Amino acid sequence: MSEERREQEGSLQSRIIQVIIGIGGALVFPVIAILISFVIGAVIVLATGNNPLTAYSALIGGAFGSATGLGRTLLYTTPLIFTGLAVAVAFRAGLFNIGGEGQLYIGAITAAWLGVSLGGLGVAAIPLALAACVVTGFMWGAIPGVLKAYFGAHEVITTIMLNVIAINLAYYLAQNPLRQQGPIPGTESVPAEVRIPLIGIGLGRTNYGLAIALLAALVVYLLLWRTRLGFRIRAVGLSPGAAGYAGMSIGVNTVLALAIGGSFAALGGGVEILGVYGNMDVPFVANLGFSGIGVALLGRNHPVGVVLGALLFGGLNSGAQEMQFATDVPLQLASVLLAVILLLVTATRLVEFIIGKRARALAGARLEKGLGG
Amino acid sequence: MDEILGSLGPILQSTIRNATPLIFAALGGLFSERSGVVNIGLEGLMLISAFAGVVGASFSGSALVGLLTAIGAGLVFALIHALMTITFEADQIISGTAINLLALSGTGFLMVVIFGSGGTSPRVNGFESVAIPLLSDIPLIGRALFDQSLLVYLMYALVPTVFFVVFRTPFGLRLRATGEAPEAVDTAGVSVYRMRYYGVALSGMLAALGGAYLSMGLLSAFTENMTNGRGFIALAALIFGRWNPIGAAGAALLFGFAQAITFRVDQEAVPIEFIEMLPYILTIIVVVIAGFSGRSVAPAAIGRPYRKE
Repeated sequence: MSEERREQEGSLQSRIIQVIIGIGGALVFPVIAILISFVIGAVIVLATGNNPLTAYSALIGGAFGSATGLGRTLLYTTPLIFTGLAVAVAFRAGLFNIGGEGQLYIGAITAAWLGVSLGGLGVAAIPLALAACVVTGFMWGAIPGVLKAYFGAHEVITTIMLNVIAINLAYYLAQNPLRQQGPIPGTESVPAEVRIPLIGIGLGRTNYGLAIALLAALVVYLLLWRTRLGFRIRAVGLSPGAAGYAGMSIGVNTVLALAIGGSFAALGGGVEILGVYGNMDVPFVANLGFSGIGVALLGRNHPVGVVLGALLFGGLNSGAQEMQFATDVPLQLASVLLAVILLLVTATRLVEFIIGKRARALAGARLEKGLGG
Repeated sequence: MDEILGSLGPILQSTIRNATPLIFAALGGLFSERSGVVNIGLEGLMLISAFAGVVGASFSGSALVGLLTAIGAGLVFALIHALMTITFEADQIISGTAINLLALSGTGFLMVVIFGSGGTSPRVNGFESVAIPLLSDIPLIGRALFDQSLLVYLMYALVPTVFFVVFRTPFGLRLRATGEAPEAVDTAGVSVYRMRYYGVALSGMLAALGGAYLSMGLLSAFTENMTNGRGFIALAALIFGRWNPIGAAGAALLFGFAQAITFRVDQEAVPIEFIEMLPYILTIIVVVIAGFSGRSVAPAAIGRPYRKE
């Protein structure tokens, strides 16, 4: 009996160790990338004639040091979770979705339109408008999928072109059929009942959109690892050839992965409208979609990683405002740091160079899995 | 009829002007991709160089110094891409995307640090139009082709030069072989790493010419995100032109023509947003045609890091 039990404990122990190594391996690249980028950032701050310690303490304090700061951080984190998921789902199928920016605009204009036109329904308009965002985002996201699967057009170029097209389409609708009265360009504001409620407890404008974002991350996890569709998407990403031999349609799964990604980014746009802005201004908030690429890569294209990555990006953008106030370092420094992190996060040999070959082998194996070929 | 003929010259002139930055960037992308390294960072390299050119010209008062500064900046940031992808084996598309983000945020940051505010930089001395005597007097096409900025004439010279270098010199042969069969190049005693560094470095300097033309030829100032997707359109031109300088220049002229037309569309009849979409819709159509007709056969070893065993 004791023999058996010891064996069980042994296997449990080794499993725990495996999990720890797994998590450690997953964290090696992001942590090293973040550390190096902060060192580079410190040099930049020094070059502008400021003290890096003052700047960084204002940055971190601004992001997490007070309820107001934390509220702003969470407010910025919410859309990045959605756009990060949009990139991550596609990446699992071996596809690079740079279209999050345009997909977010498609969702935003959908919600701005339905939030007003369904305004008479009151609270019930919220789920209806958000569901419509999922649908329009799905359809918009399917376009590069179809072009890739059946016409061989590379998704990186088509999604970037579709960004400009989507933004112009949304602006056209916002300035013409949906335009509000008066001189300020933008759509009419949705009624107060159709706004996503605030969380309160001192967190400022942070609203239950954050809960929807976390739910979306859970949905992505279940979709990818607990459904047949998710299995097919990952199989196509890991080895298109093998997936094809196993009878899976590479074309269909390519379209679905990009379309599902599109629906998450569009949902994020809808949540921004109903939760934060209440209408679509022209120009509307920029770069949430592009930041989603960094969020997903930093989060190794795993939903949990995406949430953490979004929190880091949201925190940096939030804290940068305090930093600009406390020192005279422009707040764009936060975006520079994020770009450097992105630059470093897949540099496998750099990590090998820093931490040695054996550790890299563990981390690298996970990385290559994460990237899906 | 007279009106159409009369507007043909200006449309052609505008076509060349819009195509010039695309051609420079596409020639740059050609060197990088022929060596086996995807350079989706062309957009960012152009943007950084456009900014560096204005900084150089603004502090020296000389357009030439500005141009050299732009080339230097394009080279440095291309070498960052090379270091990450060739030496450290980072994913080439991700590194390129990071270069683009770095360019956008970095130029925004430096605009505030150097010029005190974002938006548009002060005006600088650029490369004004220089009419070539006699040639510019040819009816219809004379002004369009030969009353342009010096950088446009440089572009005319570079297209055949790049063709010659890539297809008729030992360097070009090695470069192309590195993109097709790096193992064979290695066996022949040529360093794959070195060839790829050359390819990416050249792509940075050529993209820099495109960026400098934007901020010191078309305009005489830097505005934030002034490249506005041109780097990606250049990439599409490269694909449609089958990684051949003459084909890429032809495709870039097509895109330049689309942009020239959009300036002439009646804004009363068609909303401005739809006019602005046109070049991007055309780009998608072109990429689809290239893919569907089997034209887009990329260098065989593109996108894969090389590791000497």
